[in-house]
Amino acid sequence: MTSLSSQPLRRPRQTRVKIEQTSLVLILSLMAFLGLFPYLFMLLTSFKNNQQIVDSYWGLPIPIHFENYVAAWDQTRYYFLTTFTVVAATVAAVLLLGLLSGFIFARFSFLGRNFLFTLVGLLLMVPSIAALIPLFVLSKDLKMLNTIWVLIIPSIAGNAVLAVILFKNFIEAIQQELFDAAQVFGASGPQIFRYIVAPLSFPIIGTVSLLTMINVWNDFFWPLLTVTDDKLRTVAIGIQFFQGQNATDYGGLMAGYTLASLPLLVLFTFLSKYFLAGISGGLTASDK
Amino acid sequence: MTASPVVAKAKKRPRKIKPMLYLGLVPLFAMLFLFSYYPAINGLSKSFFDWKFIAKSDFIGWDNYQKMLGDKAWWETFQHISLVLLAGVTIMWLLPLLAVEMLISLRNSRIQYILRTALLFPLAFPVIVTIYMWGFIYNPNQGILNTLLKQIGLGSLAQNWLGDPKTALWSLIFINFPWIASLPFFVFLTGLQNIGTEIFEAAALDGASRLQRFFLIDLPLLGRQFRLLFILAVINILQFGVTAQALTEGGPDNATMFPILRILNVAFRGGDWGYSAALSSTLFIITFLASVFVFLVSRGERQNDKSL
Repeated sequence: MTSLSSQPLRRPRQTRVKIEQTSLVLILSLMAFLGLFPYLFMLLTSFKNNQQIVDSYWGLPIPIHFENYVAAWDQTRYYFLTTFTVVAATVAAVLLLGLLSGFIFARFSFLGRNFLFTLVGLLLMVPSIAALIPLFVLSKDLKMLNTIWVLIIPSIAGNAVLAVILFKNFIEAIQQELFDAAQVFGASGPQIFRYIVAPLSFPIIGTVSLLTMINVWNDFFWPLLTVTDDKLRTVAIGIQFFQGQNATDYGGLMAGYTLASLPLLVLFTFLSKYFLAGISGGLTASDK
Repeated sequence: MTASPVVAKAKKRPRKIKPMLYLGLVPLFAMLFLFSYYPAINGLSKSFFDWKFIAKSDFIGWDNYQKMLGDKAWWETFQHISLVLLAGVTIMWLLPLLAVEMLISLRNSRIQYILRTALLFPLAFPVIVTIYMWGFIYNPNQGILNTLLKQIGLGSLAQNWLGDPKTALWSLIFINFPWIASLPFFVFLTGLQNIGTEIFEAAALDGASRLQRFFLIDLPLLGRQFRLLFILAVINILQFGVTAQALTEGGPDNATMFPILRILNVAFRGGDWGYSAALSSTLFIITFLASVFVFLVSRGERQNDKSL
């Protein structure tokens, strides 16, 4: 596009572009640094004892103190066990419900199909927080309070809604020819599900899994209200309790925060595609 | 790809196994009815009762709602939420959009990728960790903000950010500043990246400046994304209660009280479950109407502009 400009003109233009690009990189780096700074500070401070925090507030932790992590792990390890259990159970159930129901909604026509699907979609518009009080009373009546079930079962119901919608949209988009071929060979509904739908749905399975994991890991009010037994606290709630116990031991607190962040960080690092799809998963669904 | 042939094809075959289909949907609907629909309906009906946990509940008609009309603390929470929503759709969109524009203007795709990852990276941290780290930033004694102010000679500006009713709500809003690691950033980025480079190149050939391109091409093409983010901002606004609960519990002096916190306080501290159910139901109806309204408006607009 610069082919028209003569030789002497090209040089200043190139320098201008170079300056422009460099300043863009600088501004964006500054923005990234601002965004990352709290976490960087958290990591550095998690290796300091109280004296080091006073003496070298911004500096590197020299010498490094690992005691904070030992103490933090000692106080929080049950929270991790609980959360992993809840995450595993919720994800497994949500995937099962989502795949099966999504498959039925996407590939079969039956009386009340649209009505039933609207019933599911309607729940997307309702903030779960609005039904918190009656759900709490229900859980109390079912004698589920302060058990692991109160963390798992309502979270399955809450996460299944979006999962069903995402699976339905995805399975609808699978090429019809595959289903035709399967029918020609006499495959039954369950066989089609087992040999075509499930394997092809791998990307959406990844997205829904990550979406559910992030949701469960971040869920706050529900575990806060329903669980008082320390060993049943999830990480999100446990950290709050931990915060109360160690109010001014900043090094210990930051070690606890870092530990609480590790699982999601690992997922982000190795599955960033699914992680970001999971974060924006609700978005693509409400877009439809 | 389209839905119609799928349904048409499927219609012929599965008549025989229809009971199986309903059976397959039973687990889902059993869950949804018991843990989503029933609580919502039960909450609605219990809002007409003097609902106590231990004693028998008495039917009291509209009394709870009458009480709500005069509940100043309750309506104040909506002022707070309005402010958060306003900030959520202005400043919290502006900076991410600016960052996206700068990011897509980079020519080196490697640097672009690295910066994109660095900008999005904070999203990988649990919400509660982010909230508590910002709690530490605002900490009046050893907090990052006050320490920084003192060291650069602006110690007079240092204050108890979350402990002062004048600054508490704004402090909560400024959590995550510059708000780049956010859904808006991600949505704007994917939106502009999906447009395709041809249209930008055509604009450059026609001699459009970068600013002209932004206002005449980028912004109009992002219309759908803006509507989408607005719906999400309305729905997610309730999530803001988590931040307030974790850092201020609605204080100081109710300056950061949000509807959800008021509802929980009325129930768990006041023991007035019927009134709490009335507040829940009101909140539920308001959000529901708001999202239906936004949904209908955006759908109408989408039908108007054929370009999308």
